[in-house]
Amino acid sequence: MSRWLAEALAVAAKDLRAEFRTRVALNSLALFALTTLAAVSYTIGPYRLAEEDRPFLLSVLLWIVIFFAALAGLDRSFVKEEESHTAPLLRLAAAPTVVWAGKLLYNLVLIFVLMAMLAPLFCVLMGFEIAMPWRFVAVLAVGGYALAVITTIVAAIIAQALTRGALFSVLSLPLLLPLLIIVIEGTTAVATGDLASYTQSLRAIVAMAGAMTIVSAFLFPIVWRD
Amino acid sequence: MNRVGLALKWFLFVWMMIVIWAAFMWIPSAQGFKGESSRIVFFHVPTAWVATLAFLVSCIASALYLWRREPKYDFGAAVSNGLGLLYAVLATVTGAIFAKIMWGAYWNWDPRQTSITILLLIYAAYFALRSAVADPEKRATLSAVYSILAFVTVPFLMFIVPRIYFSLHPDVITNADPDNSLDPAHLKVLLASLAGFTGLSVWLYSVGTRIEEIRHRRRQEVL
Repeated sequence: MSRWLAEALAVAAKDLRAEFRTRVALNSLALFALTTLAAVSYTIGPYRLAEEDRPFLLSVLLWIVIFFAALAGLDRSFVKEEESHTAPLLRLAAAPTVVWAGKLLYNLVLIFVLMAMLAPLFCVLMGFEIAMPWRFVAVLAVGGYALAVITTIVAAIIAQALTRGALFSVLSLPLLLPLLIIVIEGTTAVATGDLASYTQSLRAIVAMAGAMTIVSAFLFPIVWRD
Repeated sequence: MNRVGLALKWFLFVWMMIVIWAAFMWIPSAQGFKGESSRIVFFHVPTAWVATLAFLVSCIASALYLWRREPKYDFGAAVSNGLGLLYAVLATVTGAIFAKIMWGAYWNWDPRQTSITILLLIYAAYFALRSAVADPEKRATLSAVYSILAFVTVPFLMFIVPRIYFSLHPDVITNADPDNSLDPAHLKVLLASLAGFTGLSVWLYSVGTRIEEIRHRRRQEVL
């Protein structure tokens, strides 16, 4: 088990090292998020929204920025391997589940870096007041994990297809929409301080993340083998 | 087989005729609904049921394909998803007509409408994926994986999202209120309609898979 974890960490470390050489994924994620945030913040700003609509509408905007930024950058994890023809070597070097866990960790790091940068900036620029800050972090963390699990398996699928860029959004978004609805509900709850709704949403997010993790771990070796 | 098949087809035809007649003529209009709008339940519920069933069949066929690697399971999954998509569209349309009469608008993003829209998007994406992979074996594998992933989201859409948000939709599956349940005559017609629609989709499924198999055989003859 510890060897499996060490190998998965090695795959993730390799990807992060390669990423920091070019910064393709990180740049596209960060710039996409910042540009969208600038556009949203400029047009709406902190005063345009009515007081009672703020928690809900700002949660919607925050998650839409996060989701679309993720769609702009996270497909690189597997497409990169196919484009540079390094996938066969990776197939020889590591077991499929190790590759899956490594890529998932890599995507998680990217998403968490994005969130750590975007969420505080969003709260400051949009005047988004959170009643329960630590629970807000919990929603972001669990939602980010679920987002990473779903995009990882879809990235593995589209790396094998012909038209990769457009297909990634087409395949990911419908699978992500239920998650989007639930995380928006959860974020609204932490902003207003509604503990019951927060617990219910967090439970649904955890259930979804868990189900997707198990199914992906089973299905990934099949996608990766061919 | 042929004679049995023909007899079954005629039986299905007569059965569906009786169901349609009963739904419009025999059953009195239900209490608490505007005009004759309650009759749509005999077509809306079966199409939604058959759509769910088709997605389940597709998920099972996809899993079987990944296990056995026989092309016939891939055809089954694709045909079944196509049928599921068709029935989901029909359920959406019949639902929208009911919504217009009862709630005043065809579309109001009721949680049920939201979840069926997402479901339609997911299974439309399935066909986008199929068209993006040229190699038949790879297409079968990748679409089988996506089909299983898609089915994992179905319970969240069907049960969790409608529970989180307030819905106007009449509760069908988990109805605890005895006053709100169907009376025996309505239930009889509804069950008959469910059986009819299930039979109809089994027939369509067998026609679809046979077409796919002929296509497959012809492709191999050309190669």
